Amino acid sequence: MKALGKGLVLGLALVFCLGTAAMAADTIRIGVASPFTGDLAAYGDNIKAGVNLKLKEINGAGGVNGKKIELVWGDDLCQPKEAGTVASKFANDKSIVAVIGHLCSSATLAGMPIYVRAKMPVISPTSTNPTIGDVGKGWFFRNCYTDAFQGKYLASHVVKELLGLKKVAIFYENNDYAIGLKDSFIGGAEASGLQVTGAEAYVAKTTDFTPQLTKLLKDKPETIFLCGYHPEGALIAGQARKLGFNGPLFGADGLDNIDYIKIGGEAANNTFMTVPFLAAAAGPDAQKFAEAFKAETGREVDWMSANAYDCLAIVAEVIAKVGEDRQKIRDGLAAYNSADNGFEGVTGLTYFNEKGDCSKPAFVKKVEGGEFVPAE
Amino acid sequence: MFLQQLVNGLTIGGIYALIAVGYTMVYGVIQLINFAHGEIYMLGAFFAVTFILGMGMPFYLAFLLAMACGAICGMLLDVIAYRPLRQSPRLACLITAIGMSIFLQNLAMLIWGSRPRPFPSDTLPAWFDKTWHFSQFSLTGFHLFIFAATIIMMLGLNLTIKKTRFGKAMRAVAQNKTMAALAGINVNKVITLTFAVAGSMGAAAGLMVGAFYNSLYPTMGYLAGVKAFAAAVLGGIGSVPGAMLGGIVLGVAEAMGAGYLSSLYRDGISYGVMIIVIVFIPAGFFGVVIKETKKSI
Repeated sequence: MKALGKGLVLGLALVFCLGTAAMAADTIRIGVASPFTGDLAAYGDNIKAGVNLKLKEINGAGGVNGKKIELVWGDDLCQPKEAGTVASKFANDKSIVAVIGHLCSSATLAGMPIYVRAKMPVISPTSTNPTIGDVGKGWFFRNCYTDAFQGKYLASHVVKELLGLKKVAIFYENNDYAIGLKDSFIGGAEASGLQVTGAEAYVAKTTDFTPQLTKLLKDKPETIFLCGYHPEGALIAGQARKLGFNGPLFGADGLDNIDYIKIGGEAANNTFMTVPFLAAAAGPDAQKFAEAFKAETGREVDWMSANAYDCLAIVAEVIAKVGEDRQKIRDGLAAYNSADNGFEGVTGLTYFNEKGDCSKPAFVKKVEGGEFVPAE
Repeated sequence: MFLQQLVNGLTIGGIYALIAVGYTMVYGVIQLINFAHGEIYMLGAFFAVTFILGMGMPFYLAFLLAMACGAICGMLLDVIAYRPLRQSPRLACLITAIGMSIFLQNLAMLIWGSRPRPFPSDTLPAWFDKTWHFSQFSLTGFHLFIFAATIIMMLGLNLTIKKTRFGKAMRAVAQNKTMAALAGINVNKVITLTFAVAGSMGAAAGLMVGAFYNSLYPTMGYLAGVKAFAAAVLGGIGSVPGAMLGGIVLGVAEAMGAGYLSSLYRDGISYGVMIIVIVFIPAGFFGVVIKETKKSI
């Protein structure tokens, strides 16, 4: 008991020391929440690469208002439960003035109530679920489009015009991102006169998709919507090919990762996907950014890195204007409210509506010969 | 569609059966639920990939070597983690098993990284890709390989248990350790060898799943382990034929559940089948009801 008491005192003292050390440091602290380990660690790497590149630029130029920016990493594993823990940690740390994240819609939805209570401004580079804005109550912003738009665009543009097909089977993951996307796609499909032959669900981390695929393929779809993330998407592609399906596949931004091709191999070819950013289709600023990104990381830039890069740029610009105060940063972000006073970044013009959503175009790319290429 | 779902279910069911046999054999001899068994399954897949990519071995050789490595891992697991606890309460062993499971998972993450990686499918024998299309279903060479490998291993295991001296010793140890020791059987050696057999079959299952579904990651053993454990319970834990049947039933129930009922509740359906069987036949298909008696050890 005595030893326990001593340990407790020592522990508290240690926590206290660390706490004050962090307070005293002369930096602006911003939280970055993403899955940095686990199945979707590849996405977290993208976010890290994007914000780190911007961080280097900002701090290299002397920081913001004479202070260096310091990033605090929070690993949410893309799981709502872990996201809550990360959100509480960030919210309770008074030295953190804003959060970039989370990556997965499910994680952002789980974290938002905690951030709202703590009055913490949050900007997500990647969460596309349409309902987050309602939960965010004015504290949530994003510089990517929402699935309300993406799902409809997939139906009306990708399937109908680009592929010129009619019969679609949907294979979706059971999470907030994929369900939101699926619902909006079905709405768009009805409007565009497409026929949804079947919709089946799977749970993350499954490896055997053959029962559901067998059921979907029975109705002879012309294309399959891989509505989820790349690790499962790549496996589904492989197993669909094994079951004799040779038509095109398509998906949304969740598929966009080089691991989709690495895991899927041959089967990944002839997959189409919508992404919010495509270096080849963007302006000269974006080209310059893409080159800098390649020089820094040695790989091609992806949309998540680009959006994360812009997120930190927006937050830094706001802090430079209004200082380090959570409420003021929120108001500063909300002030980007129209095309005339938007933020011009590498991913294009970003401005928010009252829900924190922004409207941006989607680009389509496809896998061909083991590489991502623009589809149009 | 029914026949295709049957093929899907038998494929995954055979794999479950291979893992479940490992659980049930170990439970048979030392009444321990070896939660680290799923990790040996995972290690089997990673060993095979390392042999193929790192050393350029052909698939069949890598398969056999991965099985051997699985056997060695099983033996090490027993000697390092469980043998020192042979006389301790069963709960201590169980907690050690969970600890070893977490340890091995994290070790694999340190060595191979946490990202899922593909199996080098171009190194698989060419006939695995051959597909036969029938009117109701299609079948690949790989399916046949999995069926054949599963059946051969199951038959081999049955013969070993029934016909060899080791099998006899194993059955004796399972019945009564003290009596077996008095009859001159080296009990510790038999237990360790049981772990070796269980480990080799687990490794073979992991490697086939990794190659067939084309994905391996350090936490892949968890879900497979839980499913196989359910299969072992379904068949009556401690019974080898029970584990085989349990695995097949679970796999087919899963495929049919996903195919004809709701795919979202696929795992729920397979566990539901297990619960129903346990409620009506508490000892499983082939289990023996043992009256609780006070044991001296």
